[in-house]
Amino acid sequence: MDLAFTPEEQKFREDIRAWVGANLPADISHKVHNALRLTRDDMQRWAKILGKKGWLGHGWPKEFGGPGWNAVQKHLFEEECALAGAPRVVPFGPVMVAPVIMAFGSPEQQKRFLPGIASGEVWWSQGYSEPGSGSDLASVKCKAERRGNKYIVNGQKTWTTLGQYGEWIFCLVRTSTEGKPQTGISFLLIDMKSPGVTVRPIVLLDGEAEVNEVWFDNVEVPAENLIGEENKGWTYAKHLLSHERTNIADVNRAKRELERLKRIAKAEGVYEDARFRDEIAKLEVDVVALEMLVLRVLSAEKSGKNSLDIAGLLKIRGSEIQQRYSELMMLAAGPFSLPFIEEAMEAGWQGDFPGGLPGDAPLASTYFNLRKTTIYGGSNEVQRNIVSQFVLG
Amino acid sequence: MDFDFTDDQEQLRDAVRKWVDKGYDFERRRGIAKAGGFSREAYGQLAELGLAGLYIPEDDGGLGMGPVEGMVVMEELGRGIVLEPLAQALIAGAVLSSYAPADVKAAWLPKISGGEALVVLASQERAARYRLDVCEAKAAQAGANWALTATKSIVPAGDQADAFIVPAQVKGKIALFLVERTAAGVTTRGYSTQDGGRSAEVLLKDAPASLITLDGLAALEHATDIGIAATCAEAVGVMDKTVAITVEYMNTRKQFGVVISSFQALRHRMADMKMQLELARSMSYYASLKLNAPPAERRAAMARAKYQLGVSMRFIGQQAVQLHGGIGVTDEYIVSHYFKRLTQMEMSFGDTLHHLGEVSGRMQDTAGVFA
Repeated sequence: MDLAFTPEEQKFREDIRAWVGANLPADISHKVHNALRLTRDDMQRWAKILGKKGWLGHGWPKEFGGPGWNAVQKHLFEEECALAGAPRVVPFGPVMVAPVIMAFGSPEQQKRFLPGIASGEVWWSQGYSEPGSGSDLASVKCKAERRGNKYIVNGQKTWTTLGQYGEWIFCLVRTSTEGKPQTGISFLLIDMKSPGVTVRPIVLLDGEAEVNEVWFDNVEVPAENLIGEENKGWTYAKHLLSHERTNIADVNRAKRELERLKRIAKAEGVYEDARFRDEIAKLEVDVVALEMLVLRVLSAEKSGKNSLDIAGLLKIRGSEIQQRYSELMMLAAGPFSLPFIEEAMEAGWQGDFPGGLPGDAPLASTYFNLRKTTIYGGSNEVQRNIVSQFVLG
Repeated sequence: MDFDFTDDQEQLRDAVRKWVDKGYDFERRRGIAKAGGFSREAYGQLAELGLAGLYIPEDDGGLGMGPVEGMVVMEELGRGIVLEPLAQALIAGAVLSSYAPADVKAAWLPKISGGEALVVLASQERAARYRLDVCEAKAAQAGANWALTATKSIVPAGDQADAFIVPAQVKGKIALFLVERTAAGVTTRGYSTQDGGRSAEVLLKDAPASLITLDGLAALEHATDIGIAATCAEAVGVMDKTVAITVEYMNTRKQFGVVISSFQALRHRMADMKMQLELARSMSYYASLKLNAPPAERRAAMARAKYQLGVSMRFIGQQAVQLHGGIGVTDEYIVSHYFKRLTQMEMSFGDTLHHLGEVSGRMQDTAGVFA
């Protein structure tokens, strides 16, 4: 047992840190460190920088052009990116659909889709949830009917994150209503420029349109865009959900944001208030405990051991911690988090922020926004079902 | 970064687990608790396994092992809620090895290793609560001899121990001494504790003492941190077993015609218990892996760990009783004994609020395991 990373891992970390330091645009990291709004261009600029280096698909094996890093190296890479203030990589292409294409796609599909994902040129979206299918994802109704060498798609997807920028979307579609709901689902790649695709933004509680509804009205999709076999899509979807288990805890970002919370608490004059400070101290322990949990999972992966019983806990704890730090940031500013001045959440805003500090502007919005974390990716209640299944059978 | 145990560590775990399973079942424990809460015979069996000398160098008759081995052993003892205070042997072995002069080491380390001598920390004072720098005990020097006057409370197995490690004031600073229980001026009043174990009030009146070190506060902090790491590990064992007992009960007990593990409200409670157990286990690893760090880093780590363990122990203990229903509050059934043990451990070496204060006071601008 050893808490320290090996000298090789340390060296790897230092190399990553140096590269990120030299290549992450300062205007982007400024926005991330201050929770200011990121544009499509910000996100894609960073994606393309990573893509050029071959690190956008940093979890990819070498045979598909990835760096072939192990679990610890991936973790260190993500940590260095997070601490430096890099935006989170939009996961739908490189983290979600790419592994499915690698595992179940044909060589032609791999050749056709992977390069655009690896370079960051093509923006992918996720078509999973539907109005009637949230936690119960296997109940999806969006229908794809085979006609000759085409599928005709009709239905609706929702909660499509950043779908307003999407060029391609991977969808779970119903191709059969026979048998169990899971057995009639297929995994289809759809060009969002196809006639009949409509994207409608949904304004969320923080005033931003981060997610969308996507409508399909007799959309023609070439049959060659089907991944694997018809009606086997649920298997592929589960593969996707099982990927990148430790990243979901987002502990690296939590470390960065805990440091930011301390800065905010100092600026707002509550850091020396024992009652407030103790709340930060609790979060400090929570973050260390979460990081230890993540390291345990990584160590198990490194030595090829099963850690499924604890991996299920990561999403629950990680999301709770995200909500807690955003809550404490807002409470640190107190009443001065209340003015809702959208311009003040843009970089470079020079106005007077009423009463408080300009940095107070996004605190409440971030708090509101992060309520999503215990809902998405399988709600925390669904996660507790999974954990209890492991423990109780 | 590696959290695998070596084969030797796994063998050590198996050996201790075997002894707990075969040699320390619930009936034996109940008998020991009824008879006063400490069995010299059971303690001797732990020593026979080499455990009393775990932290004592091989040259002094011990096994010369480190914190991870200590953690493994304490987890297993926790699983069986063993009453005999092995953590005290770990503390005494390490403190005497690190700080005592050669003659004290030569006199005591082999006896501690062999189990002939039980040496325990006698540091608790009424006014100090969990603070280590508050100490009213006084040491007076006459030539080469020291004499201690003190009242020390909740001393583990205090009326059964052979000697005490005692902090006392010397010219406004805390020094650490060794006092034999049979020495003149020593009186003890033993009693049972809530968990079925044994403690004593120890009164020293001009009792002859051997000096361990004049740098007593540093040594006492070190001793306490060994105790914290050991308690964290022991607590993980207690909680692991508590969860297992509760799982078994939930999968057997029927109400409304079905096993109660089929009810989602109860399943989610169990998921929350599993969460607390694994957070606790993670922080117990953290504590043991930081036990040899420089003092400031070590102290900060122990505070973080004991805070988490305290939260976890209270939650798991209370919920285990709750999920058992009526049987959970009986003396006859095993789970209440695990609950009481967890409750007592929360208040050993600093409770949760105390350590929250420590974490809060030591907070830096940085965050995380490596900060």
